[in-house]
Amino acid sequence: MKVALFVPCYVDQFYPQVGIATLQLLEKLGVKAAYPPGQTCCGQPLANSGCERDALPIYRHFVQTFKDFDYVVVPSGSCVYHVRKHFDKLEQTPEVQRVRTTTFDLIDFITEVLQVKEMPGAFPHKVGLHLSCHGQRGLHQANESEMTPVRDGQLRRLLTSLDGLELTELDRNDECCGFGGAFCVSEAAISGRMGHDRAHDHLRNGTQVLTGGDMSCLMHLEGIVRRQKLPIRVLHAAEILNGATL
Amino acid sequence: MSYLTHASRAEAFNLDHERTSWHDETLWFVRQKRDKAVYAVPEFQELRSLASAIKEHTLSRLDHYLAQFEAAALANGVQVHWAADAAEHNAIVLDIVRKRGATKVVKSKSMLTEECHLNPYLISHGIDVIDTDLGERIIQLRDEPPSHLVLPAIHLKKEDVGDTFHQHLGTEKGLTDPQQLTEAARQHLRAKFLAGEVALTGVNFAIAETGSVVVCTNEGNADLGVSLAPVHVASMGIEKLIPRLADLGVFTRLLARSATGQPVTTYTSHYTQPAEGREMHVIIVDNGRTQQLGRPDFRASLKCIRCGACMNTCPVYRRSGGHSYDFTVPGPIGSILSPNIDLKKHSTLPFASTLCGSCTDVCPVKIDIHVQLYKWRQIIAEANHLPAAKKWGMKFMGRLLASPNAFKISGKLARTGLRLLPHGLTHNQTANAWAIARELPEPPKQSFREWYQQQAPA
Amino acid sequence: MSSTRDRILAAARANQPAETPLPPVADFGGNASLERFTEVLASIGGTVVRLAAPGALAATVQQLFPAARLVASPLFSASLAIDQQTPVDVLADVDLAVLPVEFGVAENGAVWLPEANMLHRALPTVTQHLAFVLDHRQLVATMHQAYARLPNGPGGYGMFVAGPSKTADIEQSLVIGAHGARSLVVLVY
Repeated sequence: MKVALFVPCYVDQFYPQVGIATLQLLEKLGVKAAYPPGQTCCGQPLANSGCERDALPIYRHFVQTFKDFDYVVVPSGSCVYHVRKHFDKLEQTPEVQRVRTTTFDLIDFITEVLQVKEMPGAFPHKVGLHLSCHGQRGLHQANESEMTPVRDGQLRRLLTSLDGLELTELDRNDECCGFGGAFCVSEAAISGRMGHDRAHDHLRNGTQVLTGGDMSCLMHLEGIVRRQKLPIRVLHAAEILNGATL
Repeated sequence: MSYLTHASRAEAFNLDHERTSWHDETLWFVRQKRDKAVYAVPEFQELRSLASAIKEHTLSRLDHYLAQFEAAALANGVQVHWAADAAEHNAIVLDIVRKRGATKVVKSKSMLTEECHLNPYLISHGIDVIDTDLGERIIQLRDEPPSHLVLPAIHLKKEDVGDTFHQHLGTEKGLTDPQQLTEAARQHLRAKFLAGEVALTGVNFAIAETGSVVVCTNEGNADLGVSLAPVHVASMGIEKLIPRLADLGVFTRLLARSATGQPVTTYTSHYTQPAEGREMHVIIVDNGRTQQLGRPDFRASLKCIRCGACMNTCPVYRRSGGHSYDFTVPGPIGSILSPNIDLKKHSTLPFASTLCGSCTDVCPVKIDIHVQLYKWRQIIAEANHLPAAKKWGMKFMGRLLASPNAFKISGKLARTGLRLLPHGLTHNQTANAWAIARELPEPPKQSFREWYQQQAPA
Repeated sequence: MSSTRDRILAAARANQPAETPLPPVADFGGNASLERFTEVLASIGGTVVRLAAPGALAATVQQLFPAARLVASPLFSASLAIDQQTPVDVLADVDLAVLPVEFGVAENGAVWLPEANMLHRALPTVTQHLAFVLDHRQLVATMHQAYARLPNGPGGYGMFVAGPSKTADIEQSLVIGAHGARSLVVLVY
């Protein structure tokens, strides 16, 4: 199985530990992933700003970079959603179609492709789970409160398989954190307010460690946590599943 | 001509932190009532699919159903009028009122008449028009537009309503009890109902096979107005049609549950024929709808049944208020309807969203709202309505991100700059909107790429 | 010159997509019990009262609404005669209307009130209080079944009424008795 790791641009620059944890976690699960050095970005920041046309060269570059792999694994559901949903703007060559179906979010890759449903190890902390909306509603990684009161999802299950980990029950289980890409600066007031409300839902309900599958939401929430000096640690789920200790 | 952006109005709304919390929580409460009602109906998701398919079918044969409806309504003794736009609509209403020599008009809630700005038009022609829905009456007295599809005065607190009623209805100063305020409005409006000469209503559903119009209210104001006044004028957009009476089984099960979490509205009234000796008129209005029908990516917005669920669930709407959208229909649905009307004026609305998709998931007729928001963004950028800095920034990023070397170097520069520059400079809130509410990430010494290259080859 | 009507129809024809199918609407079954109807009606502010016998109607109404002075009903000899010609100022004083309804809907507590049962179109909303009289065998589970009970259409005017008039337009606080009836009782025999 030939697996490539795609590390989103902001993770590469600001959260290298998340890329490292992803690589190591995959290795523990028997997958040696390669990191093609020519990779850049999935193009989502441009497309969500209305500049899909300017993003097309980035899409093509992404396809060229990853076309020869069986799977492309990404520690970010949002990028995966973008590749799967919005690369429809490219001519649908076999290469494009292939990359659109072989690009996987890390958690989905672990649970669906590797069929791993439980993780060894312990993490004896109260953990608050924040799924990105693109992961949750776009890739259907978890039940949605719009549809059912039953809270379930792959990452939820993986995390609770760790010894001692207790998930926080939030007042609003799956409300958006307000990151939203360029939204976080173009609508800075609302974005900040949404992030504030999310962070305080976690605080109120006892979250010690805030985690999720998308570093972009977590970057935004971490920025708020640090600004307000809230007693919450922020870690990507790959770090916890890879055996992080506090 | 320049317009205020959604962001600037939203920022102003947010200055009052506590009031924003209150607005958010009040609407979240409605969303929770909706959830409870939805969970209790096992076939709810199936009903959404059915409603969507019925509406899609109707739109695909809209000319047929419009003609069928008209023929049935005429046979029922209803007078049918057609209006291409707001001006024609308003002129038709005024003509009907004048032919009766009437001056006293009672109106129940109708977003279409809001869209057409009917009230100021009638008032300027000497007609006394009274909104009779409680929320609508409150904002009419305050001379404000509605801030929500079904809860028009949701931006107001009971103290605000108390002040307004004290000023206009003579209630005791400082009265804030909703029960007593509602009773005062009941007494005040009862006199208006009894004196009404023409009753205006909107239309929730128009049934092609029977020629009936259906109006849903909780207060009973539509029925009271219509059945007391000698003339009823119902204004409907062309998209209100459904083919069969039986289709109402689907829509009445969805509408109130999605809107407020009630199992059904208190009154679901079917108006088919005028009472003996009375008049009933239906005005069928286009006002941009056939144009939207011609846009394949956006025509699904015409399926909307105006329940407001997308507003109650929208994390942006809840924290920015309905007036921040500056359009008759606020919130997510308004943000996909408004660019059809005036692309430049409403160019910031499709960006007033994180594209979280919750609106799409609560929509009872399955409009792909967040997908349409994304598509409007592309059209707005192509039409050159993006702020210049954003446009050129995106073009620059496009070239940068298609080139691995340039990408690598610029990333290192940014990270190093962030590490070396003082916090006061990197977190300057005028230059860096990120830093208004948040810290920037702490820049690591090494990027992932650099770390990876240092690892021994396997 | 073509009319607005013709231009709108032509624009619709030109812009509408290829025809998609109209789905049949299934009957989803459901609970049509009086218990369910009673429970739901109570949750929306209405009340169900069982009549001991059909003949007990007038006495029960008298017992439930001792203060009602002006009562209108086609079902017993009431204090006020109402028909479609009754003037507005007379209607305005009605305290209580007691009207027969055709059937009830268990899922939402609504009842079907056709024009023929109203005496005057305004009576059900202008009256201060409202009592409906319903045969307990005439209950359906859902709105699908409700509309299936109207094979000849809804008539000139007809309404589903679910509980008393209400509003939550002031801060989402529920207030019973907006413009229509302040209270609603369904008398079941």
